Amino acid sequence: MADPVGKSLSRRSVLQGMGAGLGALAAGPFLGAGSAFAAREKELNILCWEGYNSAQVLDPFRSQTGATVKAESLTNDPTMINRLRAGEINTWDLINVNNPWARKVMLPEKLIKPLPKAEFEPFFAKMLPEFKAPYKWAMSDDGKDLLGMVQRFGPYSFVVNTDKISRKTAEETGWDLFNDPKLAGKYGILESDDWNVFNLFVVAGIDPFKTHTPEEFTKFDETAKRVFKGAKLIGDIASMNQALISGEIDLHLTGGTYSVSPARADGHPNLRAITPLKGPLAGGKGGISWIEVTSTVNNPNLSPLALEFLKYVQDPKVAHTVAFAEGTFNPVAQMGNKACFDLFTKEELDAIQWDSLEEEMARSVEYDIVPDYDKALDIMNAAKRLRG
Amino acid sequence: MADVAIARLPETSAELRKARALSLGARCALPVAVLLGLGFLAPILAIFGYAFATPRSFDLFRSFTLENFATIFSPSNTVWVSFAWSCGFALFTVAILALVAYPIAYGLTMVFGRAAPLISVLFVFPLFVSENVRLYGWVLFFIKNGVLDGTLKWLGLPGGPEVLFTPGITLFGMVYTYLPFMLFPMTLGLALVPRDLVDAARDLGAGRLFIWREIELPLAMPGILIGMLLTFVLAIGATAEAKILGGQSIIVISHDIEIAFTYSQNWPLGSALAVVVTVFIGALTLFALSRLDLDRMLGRR
Repeated sequence: MADPVGKSLSRRSVLQGMGAGLGALAAGPFLGAGSAFAAREKELNILCWEGYNSAQVLDPFRSQTGATVKAESLTNDPTMINRLRAGEINTWDLINVNNPWARKVMLPEKLIKPLPKAEFEPFFAKMLPEFKAPYKWAMSDDGKDLLGMVQRFGPYSFVVNTDKISRKTAEETGWDLFNDPKLAGKYGILESDDWNVFNLFVVAGIDPFKTHTPEEFTKFDETAKRVFKGAKLIGDIASMNQALISGEIDLHLTGGTYSVSPARADGHPNLRAITPLKGPLAGGKGGISWIEVTSTVNNPNLSPLALEFLKYVQDPKVAHTVAFAEGTFNPVAQMGNKACFDLFTKEELDAIQWDSLEEEMARSVEYDIVPDYDKALDIMNAAKRLRG
Repeated sequence: MADVAIARLPETSAELRKARALSLGARCALPVAVLLGLGFLAPILAIFGYAFATPRSFDLFRSFTLENFATIFSPSNTVWVSFAWSCGFALFTVAILALVAYPIAYGLTMVFGRAAPLISVLFVFPLFVSENVRLYGWVLFFIKNGVLDGTLKWLGLPGGPEVLFTPGITLFGMVYTYLPFMLFPMTLGLALVPRDLVDAARDLGAGRLFIWREIELPLAMPGILIGMLLTFVLAIGATAEAKILGGQSIIVISHDIEIAFTYSQNWPLGSALAVVVTVFIGALTLFALSRLDLDRMLGRR
């Protein structure tokens, strides 16, 4: 029996409605793009890291399908996921974030839905060997559902100017470079706070991907204050590369192929992403890597183009375009397919450090969720304020 | 009496209808009012709503707590450092700009007279280029082996000073960015000073300093104060200068708000911070405006 209208309209539901309405207003330009109950055959909305939003990637798909494709790029995973949590689940069709979020957070919270396995699993057969099905990060915890497709990946620890600090020294000394008082004022820190939390733990000699004791937090606090105090600058990727090229800094914390490849492609092969030989990470590993997983949002009115787009980016030519989309250049899992690999020039392979990619990935643990991230981030933000 | 009452009735109801209906002006302004309501008030309402929501949640209007404000005002929280830096930067920016912009505005008024405000609009032209692009331009100018350093070395000199990524360069960036916002109202204020009054004072034997203190400054004061207020309000919310030129050597309050909304994903805390800053600026503006006696300054009393 249906509830009488008057009864269902409680104060709480009205406030919830107001909240959702205001939240949607604050959501900005995509309001209405979802047009919840309209047919969505000709529109697709993608929430992604930069690259997938570039015209090089999207324009061919737009002309092929005649669809309106909108993509918004953000530079951290929590923001993207919280956009869905805040009510934008009806707006987006695809979400592209780093590896752990799909299986550990987004599926349990019903923010994404599984892909048709039979349709998408065969694509993994053509990827690089480490991505063969069932690929852990693309699968649900129980291993039954396929949650997303993988493409870009890379090691992400720190970057040095090899004219100032040799690759050998950097790899052998590892994270202790940032504990060296002689290097104070000679390094930068990339403004990528989730990664900075990981890396400050590692500099402090602590594995970030576990629950931490009060003593470990004390050490983290001390390390964060010291490392931030000693940094010449904190800035975005462009600022870091510019400061490395000009000689303002010799190295920077948090960085890898993703951040340094544009500078390398621009004629600065002396700038190099480093993965330390050893470190306090699981198995004594020295670095951290990331793998993007693109999933379909649990949108009640999901655009059918979402699946089409996921297939479209598997094409060797498009995968190469994704690897070298504007902004950052990265290896892609589809390089396991000769047709895709052959599209990469020698210069492009050099920009993404293909020569050491396999060993660097092997020396890295995969990006994971820090259980006490909020506390660590608050400590780090407080440490940052004491720079002045 | 009855006749009069009957005769007046239709008129009264027409008056009533008229009173109930919106005036033509109000009706014409309705689309703008709706637009402002949606585009301006709704986000502010959302921010106020979030400020009282459970920390790190999205329970807009579904929870009520003062926890976010308690966090901000907790003695262990260092966010006051950012707030103090922002206020300091804003105050110094206003002070430096007042000293820098006054001679320029004075010169413009002397040379161009009543056309000076129009000429000062030219100083607004850089605003057509994105602030970030202009600030990155300054980075290229000051960076090691950049325009300044490289040129000096090329000339055989020791090279440029190391000024990038310091609080000093942040202040420089703010002075540079907000110059037009001080200059334009100041020029307008100075252009309104009647030259006859100055001439009359001079004829009566007043010295330059006396004329400046007793005539020019008081008459130009509305423009000067509006410029100062505008610059202060903008400068206290500035982020780009501290980030791009300052290399985050200082974390300013607006950057703290940004961090709360992005990496921290603590929208309620970010909103509470925004509310505190908004209330502070609002109170300061109202206080300044209440002290700003335009009539007295314009000598009409």
